[in-house]
Amino acid sequence: MIHVVDAANISQYRHEMEEVWRLRHKVFVEEKGWTDLAKPDGREIDQFDTPEAVHLLVMEGGAVIGYSRLLPTTRPHLLSEVFPHLCEGDLPRGPRIWEWTRQAVAPAHRARGTSRLVTVRLMAGIVEWGMAHGVTSLVTMMPLMYLLPFLDTHFRAIPLGLPTVIDGERTIAVRAEFDTRTLKRLRTMRGDATPVLATPMVSEHAA
Amino acid sequence: MSRKTLDLTLAYLRSLDRTASAHDVAALLRTVLDRYGVEHMLAGTIPDPGTPPGRQYGHALLDGMPTEWIRRYAMRGYLFRDATVRHMAFSQEPFAWTDIAARYKDDPISVRVMHEAGEFGIRAGVTIPLMTLDAKLAGASFSGRHMEVPPEDVGTLQLIATYAFAQLLLLQGTAAKAPIRLTSREREVLQWAADGKTAWEIGEILGISQKGVEHHLGTSRRKLGALNGVQAVATALRMGLIA
Repeated sequence: MIHVVDAANISQYRHEMEEVWRLRHKVFVEEKGWTDLAKPDGREIDQFDTPEAVHLLVMEGGAVIGYSRLLPTTRPHLLSEVFPHLCEGDLPRGPRIWEWTRQAVAPAHRARGTSRLVTVRLMAGIVEWGMAHGVTSLVTMMPLMYLLPFLDTHFRAIPLGLPTVIDGERTIAVRAEFDTRTLKRLRTMRGDATPVLATPMVSEHAA
Repeated sequence: MSRKTLDLTLAYLRSLDRTASAHDVAALLRTVLDRYGVEHMLAGTIPDPGTPPGRQYGHALLDGMPTEWIRRYAMRGYLFRDATVRHMAFSQEPFAWTDIAARYKDDPISVRVMHEAGEFGIRAGVTIPLMTLDAKLAGASFSGRHMEVPPEDVGTLQLIATYAFAQLLLLQGTAAKAPIRLTSREREVLQWAADGKTAWEIGEILGISQKGVEHHLGTSRRKLGALNGVQAVATALRMGLIA
């Protein structure tokens, strides 16, 4: 199940959020080598983890096995503050556009095939959450290599700039629209048409 | 400069949205990539080693290679000796063929594949490794007599190829759902081809010209998504469209 954690319920998820900060440190600092995010206590928390942030936690057997963060583009976010050079022209902003960052899958769930399932589940969670909150698109950045699988989930992604090399990887920023077709595709890929969010948010007619 | 390149890329994406077949995608790519001297292209997933030649064809989503070359390539089992295919196991980054040729110079068959490709006007090229959602190895290759991509354009080429591939997957998914309808003429022609008749003989039997027979074979081949007549017959048989 995927739990959506925001300012309203974060106090009930103290233990799980501890796991989140450690998972983020493990994945982004220790594995990807984003050393500027390193923290002596091994908890990767940055300036965007404000009460405005929405955290999606994939839980299995009481453990956090996957994670994504959503940030409102009406507030400072990564593309606006840290990577504006990935976008040419105006950055898409507004209440219906959120930024997707910090996509992570726990190392124990990365065997061939399973990592994909956790990611597809997370994406289904993002779409379910988005559709329930009037959000129609995401902005995000990813290594160019991941663009094909992303497009294959039927997000309609449009580049915001040309590929730029970041930390040795060609990286691209995109604006990605989603709707019921995206959700249908993700559910087909999961082989399961039931909602992934612990508190279902999408009314039945939407899917 | 960069803004202009992004605008061109966005215009390409709008055109790509309107393509209805692999043929359309190839035509669009030829227009967009003409400036690099691209004459030939191929895109698909890479079959697992050992896949028999007959089934290697099915992995191509887009075939824009000289037919004679593809035939020879399949017949002689070049796929798994081709340096540009072998190198995809080691590189997730796009590579120019000239940059990797030296690594495979000790394999006489790899060298022969490159040499023979040259005879078909496939002298220079760039391969773009891609990864599908189910972590299958895939790729696109662009080639020609004098093809060259400036290093600063490689990322844009990778982007163009990625979107083309996504569109090909989408079209393939749509095609898989739509039932294939052959005209009675197409069925007749395929049926006789399955019985081993040549185009001329089929023309005699049906009382139409050889050109007419080839036309019906061509349209049915496209409907079946087959790369040649043999595959069209095999696909039609498998789908029960002919007996």
